[in-house]
Amino acid sequence: MTPDQILAEVRAMLTEIIGAEYALSLDISMDTSFDADLELESIEFVKLSTMLAERYGDRVDFVAFLAAKEFEEIIEMTTGVLVTYIANCLALAGAIDG
Amino acid sequence: MAEIIARGIRFHVQRLTARRPASAPVHPVVFIHGLGMDNLSSFYYTLANPVAHAGADVILYDQRGQGLSERPRTGYRVSDSVADLAAILDTLGVDGPVHLVGNSYGGTVALGFAVAYPDRVASMVLIEAHVPVPGWAEQMAATINEIKIRLDLSDGDPVRWTAQYGRKLARRAALGRDLIHHTTFVADLLATEPFVERDLRVFARPVRAVYGEHSDVLHHSHMLDGLLPSCALTVLPDLDHWLLPKATQVLRAIVLDWFATPTAVGHR
Repeated sequence: MTPDQILAEVRAMLTEIIGAEYALSLDISMDTSFDADLELESIEFVKLSTMLAERYGDRVDFVAFLAAKEFEEIIEMTTGVLVTYIANCLALAGAIDG
Repeated sequence: MAEIIARGIRFHVQRLTARRPASAPVHPVVFIHGLGMDNLSSFYYTLANPVAHAGADVILYDQRGQGLSERPRTGYRVSDSVADLAAILDTLGVDGPVHLVGNSYGGTVALGFAVAYPDRVASMVLIEAHVPVPGWAEQMAATINEIKIRLDLSDGDPVRWTAQYGRKLARRAALGRDLIHHTTFVADLLATEPFVERDLRVFARPVRAVYGEHSDVLHHSHMLDGLLPSCALTVLPDLDHWLLPKATQVLRAIVLDWFATPTAVGHR
């Protein structure tokens, strides 16, 4: 999957979480911050993690990703950091599977 | 699995599992968050993922009325919280002992669960645990009243609040107002009976209690230290009740050390 394709999937998940009405007023891009732009509540980021785990399964290790980060780092992340992490995990999984 | 039904209520549950090294605790570790506008995310981002990463099977859940769990109109007594936890573990098929990690009111629930089901608790880590000592309900009533006064200053119009204060604050205020004004949350909390000392005396499993030097519930620690047969108490200097956000790294080290020490967590 390309980062653009992953971004599109992450954007759809975020829109479901924060509500289409609020999401429509934002253009969710790689530079969008979970905190400053989306005002994502910490519990909503947990919900996002669940949706990502359901979508990408064992190929993306979110426990390891989150265990290495402080809360401020996580909530101040941009969508792009998450998308890049997913892309790298999927590429690695693909290389192992392939 | 993110949602389960227990006692007829929809609960948001998160299970974290990692590759298990040989030294990992065999029993699951259950995290219980605090009261009011708290939810499982306060543990999810601080202690839960590191504990899971160390190899433990981790369970987190939002207590009724909080986070992403259902907000019923009734059932907010400590005994309800304890029954909720038992039912959640039953539903998840966890019938063996668990390690409990509770923060603030989550510590109250952990203690209540340990008294009601001593065989189901392998150990406890209590962070700033509220212990229903005599006078506790009155102390909680005063705290809730302060929050209520602040919330009542808002008229609760979600559209106007979102525009003025942002989406996050508007959502939190709406949740707090609903819990205080439209459920039995406050009345149930104030009806809590103080814990009976002899109940705490018989819980023999190891307990790690951590409080801040300037905590408003530091006096509760003396009750735990004096009554629980196997309690190791640490008081962290220069800190208050908000240990979890303010001393995250210290707590992480304490908790990881706790689950890495066979003598502390007992038989495997």
